[in-house]
Amino acid sequence: MTDTDIIVVGAGPAGSCAAIAAAKAGKRVVLIERGPFPGSKNMYGGVIYPRILDELIPDWFEHAPIQRWIVRRSTMLLSDTGALNIDYRSNAWGQAPYNGATAYRPDFDNWLAQQAVAAGAELICSTTVTGLLRDAQGRINGITTDRPDGDLTASVVIACDGVNSFIAKDAGLYKAVDASNYTLGVKETLSLPKNVIDERFGVRDNQGVDIEILGGTSGVNGGGFIYTNLDTIALGVVLKLPKLSAQKKRPEEIIAELKRHPAIAPLIEGAEVIEYSAHLIPEAGLDMMPKMVADGLLVAGDAAALCLAAGIWLEGVNFAMASGMYAGQSAVQAITAGNTTASGLQSYTKKLNETFVLKDHKKLRKIPHLVLSDRVQHKYPGFVTGIMERMFRVENPHPKPGVRRILREERKKAGISLMDLVRDALTGLKGFG
Amino acid sequence: MTIAVCLKWINASGQTDIDDDRFMGFSYADQAALEYALRIAENTNDEVIVVTAGPVGAEAVLRDAIARGAQRAVRIDIDRSHDSAVIAQAIAQVVAHCSLIWCGDYSSDRGSGSVPAFIAAELSFAQALGLVEIQVPADSLHPIRALRRLDGGRREQLEIRGQAVISVEGSTARLRRASLKGSMAANKQAIDIVTVNQVATETPPTRAYRPRARAVAAPVGNSALDRVRQITDTSSSKGHGETVHLEPREAAELIVSKLREWGYQS
Ligand SMILES: Cc1cc2nc3c(=O)[nH]c(=O)nc-3n(C[C@H](O)[C@H](O)[C@H](O)COP(=O)(O)OP(=O)(O)OC[C@H]3O[C@@H](n4cnc5c(N)ncnc54)[C@H](O)[C@@H]3O)c2cc1C
Repeated sequence: MTDTDIIVVGAGPAGSCAAIAAAKAGKRVVLIERGPFPGSKNMYGGVIYPRILDELIPDWFEHAPIQRWIVRRSTMLLSDTGALNIDYRSNAWGQAPYNGATAYRPDFDNWLAQQAVAAGAELICSTTVTGLLRDAQGRINGITTDRPDGDLTASVVIACDGVNSFIAKDAGLYKAVDASNYTLGVKETLSLPKNVIDERFGVRDNQGVDIEILGGTSGVNGGGFIYTNLDTIALGVVLKLPKLSAQKKRPEEIIAELKRHPAIAPLIEGAEVIEYSAHLIPEAGLDMMPKMVADGLLVAGDAAALCLAAGIWLEGVNFAMASGMYAGQSAVQAITAGNTTASGLQSYTKKLNETFVLKDHKKLRKIPHLVLSDRVQHKYPGFVTGIMERMFRVENPHPKPGVRRILREERKKAGISLMDLVRDALTGLKGFG
Repeated sequence: MTIAVCLKWINASGQTDIDDDRFMGFSYADQAALEYALRIAENTNDEVIVVTAGPVGAEAVLRDAIARGAQRAVRIDIDRSHDSAVIAQAIAQVVAHCSLIWCGDYSSDRGSGSVPAFIAAELSFAQALGLVEIQVPADSLHPIRALRRLDGGRREQLEIRGQAVISVEGSTARLRRASLKGSMAANKQAIDIVTVNQVATETPPTRAYRPRARAVAAPVGNSALDRVRQITDTSSSKGHGETVHLEPREAAELIVSKLREWGYQS
């Protein structure tokens, strides 16, 4: 007899959804979190796409601790002095059934974990899982923790311990770790009065803005983001690890430079930094994913590298919530069927393959590499803003130059060959499919 | 016998006016009190009962204490905004049968440290308040030896026998961690809920304490630092210290008359 049916490690979005799904099905679930409360140790940029919660918590939008509903999505291309902004607005996103929302993780993760508790899961905080227990046949059947008398046995362990999952590594599910598969995300939370944010970003009430930025990362491959909360702005950059260490630049210097950019500075003028945080992101998608199933073990969320980081998309929380939920459901099925070996747990991989979780990753497989490639990073922002600069500059008495000429000249100036341009365009078209 | 520990449910993040479940807990002083109660009970085979006065949410600190080794828990269902005398009276009704009543010296939510003294007065127990060092006795036959903080860096040695209220500073002991199994069991443990007769009426608000003005000679000295030191330095004697040996009644009278003389009491 095991101490419990299912142990979920980590009360982030993946872990809490796994616990909700399993507890709702009537299984005994213990959800273990190392922080003093769920979300206390967690950070991210700031936008969640919670529609996947419809299945577990149908009225989530009435209760979830949301800051603002995203009604404006912008993609910004920054050169040293210029900025091209593609901005889309839809006020419909600010109403049910909603789209994206900004939320603070200590609020959101805690709320989600409390839903697991309400469903019957047992939440244990301030407890770090330190290892896996195995039975005589080598099947995983529990965990060890840093608490006295801290071993706990279960039929299935679900690892939702986030990026760089030590449990998935301990279980031998990852190939050798390659730093180039990771980016470092750093973020400043900037405080401004709500009415100032509303005015600067052109929103009202609880409407919010999501800006993804290409360029502006001081020559280190990566990207940036700005999200609005009620009375703070989240501003951050995501930086490719090998490039960051090669450039010998500190992430906070890169943020400082981004904040000085003429297109960014007016948005944040007068704001006070109230928080600085940093976290790794599993960036390489399918190319780095581990095996997600072993005897008695499932891996979900960032622990399984399921975060989708593809340039204009930075979505991890929804992938974590979905994979966590499917893992919870598969664990329940396997326990009910009396087979919790890897083969008994295979319904999890099947589910991931059938849903957006792996479908999006497969579709966008080439995009992370494309977006982080040197050409896209260092040549295209200057190329595109160069075109804009000349198209919209009126240099009378000279007549307007032809667009084709501008394109040709700017392409040469940026040092991009026609071949490369066509190739990247095709990869982009195919990749974004 | 039974040892009681009084735990106050507070917001430990510093935002003391907001009950935010994520940050609720009990102060380091209360933690030290619990640790000493558990250590003593291990040697004396006493039962440890933890008590809190507050709403349902406060049961979390009781479960936490159970997980760490306390045997029983009582929540007194009472509004925490009552003043210390009322809270102490309510607690006294629950812990009257206990041999020792352990408290933290101050709770960190602007506590005044008065509840322990009120409990002692209510029950006519001895009191040993503001302890900085405690020797855990080997068994129930030996007294507890302790050091108490006095002004001017002095210490008072105490020997505690019989029924007493004890309050300790937070730095004196680090609370043990709960075992994982202990935490899981504590989540299921029943907690006694007591509604007490509120016999005390609220004391009328008193005006803010303000010592009477008195003339103080300007400090003399060559540098500004010397002069500031003269006013603020507490480590050196100002020369008006005096040791007297008196019977308790006379000592009390002397204290009161000195307080009057110095303007602390009208
Ligand atoms: C800078 C940055 C910006 C981002 N922006 C976005 C965004 O805007 N939108 C979006 O959707 N995603 C974003 N992401 C990605 C997103 O944060 C992650 O994909 C998501 O948090 C993954 O959820 P998770 O539950 O798998 O892991 P996590 O959120 O990392 O949760 C893991 C949990 O496990 C706990 N834990 C870890 N190890 C142990 C252990 N040994 N024992 C016990 N507990 C343990 C941790 O304390 C934590 O609570 C961003 C990430 C970063 C770094």
